Amino acid sequence: MVREYAFALTGWTFPHGGLSQVPCLPLGTNCKWLEGDMIVLSSFHDTRPHALLSGVQVPANSTAPQALELVLDSIMAHPNIGPFVARRMIQNFVSSNPSPAYVGRVAAAFDTGAFSSDGVAFGTGTKGDMQATIAAVLLDAEARSQAVVRSQGFLREPILFFTGVLRSLNGKSDGSQMGQWGTMLAEDVFRPPSVFDFYPPDYPVAGTDLVGPQFGIHNTNGALNRLNFLNYLLIEGGTPPNPKHPDSLGTLIDDTAFLSSASDAGALVDRLSLLAFGHTLPSGTRTPVVDAVSYWNETTAPDGAWQHKRVDAAAYLVFGSPDYQVQR
Amino acid sequence: MHATRHDDAARPALTRREWLGRTGALLASGATMGPLAGLAGAAGGTGYKALVCIELAGGNDGLNTLPPIDAERYAQYAATRGPLALPLEKILPLDASHGLHPALAALVPYWEAGKLATMFNVGPLHEPLTQAQYLSLPSGSPQIPGNLFSHSDQLKLWESGSSDPTTRTGWGGLASALLGTPNPVISLGGNAAFGVEAIRTPLVLPYAGAIFGATGLMPGDLGDPANRLRRTAMDALQSQAQDVALADAYTAAHRDAFVVSERIGALVASVPGDALSSAAIDDAFAPLFVHGLPGTDLAAQLYQIAKMINGRAIVLGKRQIFYARQGRFDTHFNQVDDDDPTTGQHADLLKEFADALAAFQRAMDNLGMSESVIAFTQADFGRTFLPNASLGTDHAWGNNHFMLGGPVNGGKTYGTYPELVLGGPDDTTDDPALAQGRWIPTTSVDQYAQTLLHWFGLDAKQMLKVLPNLVNFPGKRIPFA
Repeated sequence: MVREYAFALTGWTFPHGGLSQVPCLPLGTNCKWLEGDMIVLSSFHDTRPHALLSGVQVPANSTAPQALELVLDSIMAHPNIGPFVARRMIQNFVSSNPSPAYVGRVAAAFDTGAFSSDGVAFGTGTKGDMQATIAAVLLDAEARSQAVVRSQGFLREPILFFTGVLRSLNGKSDGSQMGQWGTMLAEDVFRPPSVFDFYPPDYPVAGTDLVGPQFGIHNTNGALNRLNFLNYLLIEGGTPPNPKHPDSLGTLIDDTAFLSSASDAGALVDRLSLLAFGHTLPSGTRTPVVDAVSYWNETTAPDGAWQHKRVDAAAYLVFGSPDYQVQR
Repeated sequence: MHATRHDDAARPALTRREWLGRTGALLASGATMGPLAGLAGAAGGTGYKALVCIELAGGNDGLNTLPPIDAERYAQYAATRGPLALPLEKILPLDASHGLHPALAALVPYWEAGKLATMFNVGPLHEPLTQAQYLSLPSGSPQIPGNLFSHSDQLKLWESGSSDPTTRTGWGGLASALLGTPNPVISLGGNAAFGVEAIRTPLVLPYAGAIFGATGLMPGDLGDPANRLRRTAMDALQSQAQDVALADAYTAAHRDAFVVSERIGALVASVPGDALSSAAIDDAFAPLFVHGLPGTDLAAQLYQIAKMINGRAIVLGKRQIFYARQGRFDTHFNQVDDDDPTTGQHADLLKEFADALAAFQRAMDNLGMSESVIAFTQADFGRTFLPNASLGTDHAWGNNHFMLGGPVNGGKTYGTYPELVLGGPDDTTDDPALAQGRWIPTTSVDQYAQTLLHWFGLDAKQMLKVLPNLVNFPGKRIPFA
């Protein structure tokens, strides 16, 4: 069956000449050719008939675009496509281990192309409608309930950790240093190591009977480097714009909006906690965090930087906490 | 740990012979060889054993790695392999029947020294399987390993020692757990399933020169009260019981990271020539250094593994399994150059592999640890005997592999080379018109792992826990170690 699909998909190739200006690193990638739509080379297309899934037949002498349409039809007609897409969407947006019923509700929205919640209707009624599917993912009771279930949540993948911290702290980045940090955390974001992306959807989380896709690239070294990224961005101050490049932004946060809370270390920690994960820290962890933030004052930072130091220390601890790293 | 490194500053590189001579003299006198030798306990590593798994990820072409050279089979090979066939005179002969790809020249001395052996046509199986059974059993039968010919699944079969690609653990991980090793599998190549246990995940280390620790929170940083308070707060955050299981797994990994990095972080970070480095290892890898560090991905990994073996007194444990990974073996296109089958992508990959592996074995010899370490290869699968139209080869099944080390009964081949006939008895189809040469393995991964794990010290009962399908292969253990 796999070979039938391979034969049906013959005849497509890269656009002439290659369109990308991006240099081709690391070795073995083919980026010069990866921009632009693929084109048909009819002489390379296999014109024999092919029997695909769902009873779909590619007739003899079909063109490459006709065969491609039939390949997509055969997949869309397969009963597994709804649950497959539903599970992947939920894993990426809400939880690594959704209940079968939740997967079933999202699959139904995908299959019918329709979903409604609180009297609001989503979707056009066409199978595969993404508006209906994503609404079903995000508005499901399992996604919105305040009651915590042991199996819920997902580990933020490195790139969402980087961008989440930057956005929360009104930061900006032109991508400088992001490749390096991505590499150190096994997610050089635009360069997955293979067609299987950075991590598998079924990676087992040791010590549990659950899966955690993002745990496929999380490990001892990654745990340390998540903190090192925060240290780089907050304590060391990130990367300033490069004056040689007029559009350079560097990679920096803007703590201005938080300085007004800095005089009260507890209020600052609570404000950042609510921003980062929607609740304040329990007293057992809030107290030492507040102590670390309170260390900075006019005596310990006599150059007038103590408010900034407080925001940096508080953000380091809040965004480095498991409360933030594992999204509930 | 901070003892001054002896005599290295201005001395010329020693030859291997000089090193061996010096090692022998030092061992005889009971002297230590370098700053870490004292940590390593008894010279020669009494009772210490390490297995080093090297994964040739993407699926190495074992047929061009170990081609046949006797007249009849070379003719079969050359006729089918066409533009990919290595010229007979370029193949490095091992015995009358088989040779090595010329890019593997660095391994020839180890074959001659009896330390290198080969395993032919090994792959995932549930039980011995004939072509007739393979063709007649219905799809999904437990007798046929699941999802064959798929990278992610067949790699999982290799790594788990199972015929079920949904298995959660790896055979390296299970063996470590059963032996109660202080460390899980130590990996330089990511979180591969090979080292996953029910409770522990692989200990993934960075390359030499990288900081293995949290900047500002490491022991040396804590004289600064701001850092000390930040560390106390971070410890509290990561010690707090979590409401969801994934967050408990996250904090457990975090706490492990702090404990292990404080124990071995300096050793991990050590670079060639610094106070913690070992001249025995540096000299072995010196030909591969670029700007003072191992210059290829695999060499960088094996350099770290050599350091961890030498530093075993602080790494801890009498038994340690390591994992390294060399990628890019999925050679569907341009496996060879169009004007020369001995050059191109595959030749470059094999040269990186052989040069790094030879440097590693040199390091083990220099350290006097050769009798304590076996390195072996695994890969997703072998590749089709019949090349495709793009000077490449596609996904297949049974493959040829290497075992290297002092305990290996080397200079020999093990297992049965596949019969090089498209649609022949070893192929997955009996129709020559459809056949591409995907060999049904004649040795199972379980049997291959059994010999390695028996040497490593697993008893028969433990063996069956790690390799449950081994009961289906009741014959004699393959005596390569």
